[in-house]
Amino acid sequence: MMQPTLLQSVDLSARKALPAALTLLLMLFALTPTNLPGLSPVMPMFPLMSVYFWSIYRPELLSYGAVFSLGLLEDLLTATPIGSTALVFLVTQWVVLRQQKFFNAKPFVVTWFAFVFVAAGAALIRWIAVGLVEDSGFTPAGPLFASYLITIALYPLVGWLLAKTQAKLMGHL
Amino acid sequence: MRGPSGQISRLGTLKSLLQRFAFLSLIGVTFALMLIGKADTVLVERARSAVTDAVTPILRVMSEPASMIAQVIGNVRELASIREQNAELREANDRLLQWQSLAQRLENENKSLRSLLALVPEPGAEFVSARVVGDVGGAFAQSVIITVGHSSGVDKGQVVMTGEGLVGRVTQAGNASSRVLLITDINSRIPVLVGDAGNRAILAGDNSARPKLLYLNQSAAAPGDKVVTSGDAEAFPPGIPIGQVAEVEDGNVAVELFVARDKLQYVRVADYGLGGILTEQPAQQP
Repeated sequence: MMQPTLLQSVDLSARKALPAALTLLLMLFALTPTNLPGLSPVMPMFPLMSVYFWSIYRPELLSYGAVFSLGLLEDLLTATPIGSTALVFLVTQWVVLRQQKFFNAKPFVVTWFAFVFVAAGAALIRWIAVGLVEDSGFTPAGPLFASYLITIALYPLVGWLLAKTQAKLMGHL
Repeated sequence: MRGPSGQISRLGTLKSLLQRFAFLSLIGVTFALMLIGKADTVLVERARSAVTDAVTPILRVMSEPASMIAQVIGNVRELASIREQNAELREANDRLLQWQSLAQRLENENKSLRSLLALVPEPGAEFVSARVVGDVGGAFAQSVIITVGHSSGVDKGQVVMTGEGLVGRVTQAGNASSRVLLITDINSRIPVLVGDAGNRAILAGDNSARPKLLYLNQSAAAPGDKVVTSGDAEAFPPGIPIGQVAEVEDGNVAVELFVARDKLQYVRVADYGLGGILTEQPAQQP
């Protein structure tokens, strides 16, 4: 086999970093002011969708370390208790990896259905973690539930976009 | 016989062991971090400021299209209702002219009364304008990221507002970016005065769009009552408009805010020189 040129290897590592990079992009996207009335308090958990998606389809390209760092970054950026989102991302990925056999070659609808449960677990863990750490206690369940519903409703759209990106840029990896 | 395939399976076992170890130790680290975050807030805050400073230029670029779309939509809407708006504005203008003359009269009266009392005027505030480039929503925290920091004189504890009213206060100031804790955040507690009678209460955020009034006699509030800062605890100067009582319902008094979060593009950061409860100066020794 021919040795890859420098450009090729840079290109390859850039493609391999895409899952983490796209999760980061979704995180920043969630932070951009939308100017849509009423959306901010129930902002969906975009990075969670990305972590879930890549854990199913490309687990080898999104390590525990990467997921941990992304969660940490989210905690620092959104001023939530540091470590809480990292914990949620790690557990999400762990659950998906444990069920790799279940997810194997399943249609998208099935992964969406599974996401309904995974996202519920993720929201619950974060609610408990944040509530225990913060002095102000547990946040009301109303906005959290609304945010959860929007998250599972938007998953097909985000998952479709990520799937397209994967097919286009990472098909041969 | 076992040759290569045995090696591969042994390698596989080693890899999964390593992964499990990585997972467990990282979970341990998250718990440790949560404890550290509770104990040592200064260190975590520094990390937050550094990260926010680093990301703000990216957010600045990313927020550009959204604000442009909002502007275009706003323009189209205005064009559609330009006639009605014109009529409304004429009417408002007439009304405001009457108020202006009244205000001038009152100002003169006020001035003469002040000189009569030899009242020392309160020091004015210094203002810095900033653009909102980040909107931290979701169910757990409500804050915005603005484009000014220490380099523009912005510091923790300063008051953030728009022309409509109070937005929140600075809880974390980096070099060229700051975080503003919104009134709606669950950690926000603001001493306020309610209605014409000026009943004292605490406005407490709960991460929803409408914060609640605490420690208020329910009969003392009716829908439509204005809510302004009271200036108690020296965190805010008195009299900044916040919102009005939206509904009074079994023990809950919800406040509709004057500042619309979805229209928040520019804010003013005011330095009133208040000590407040957020500054890190050590308590004075007697």
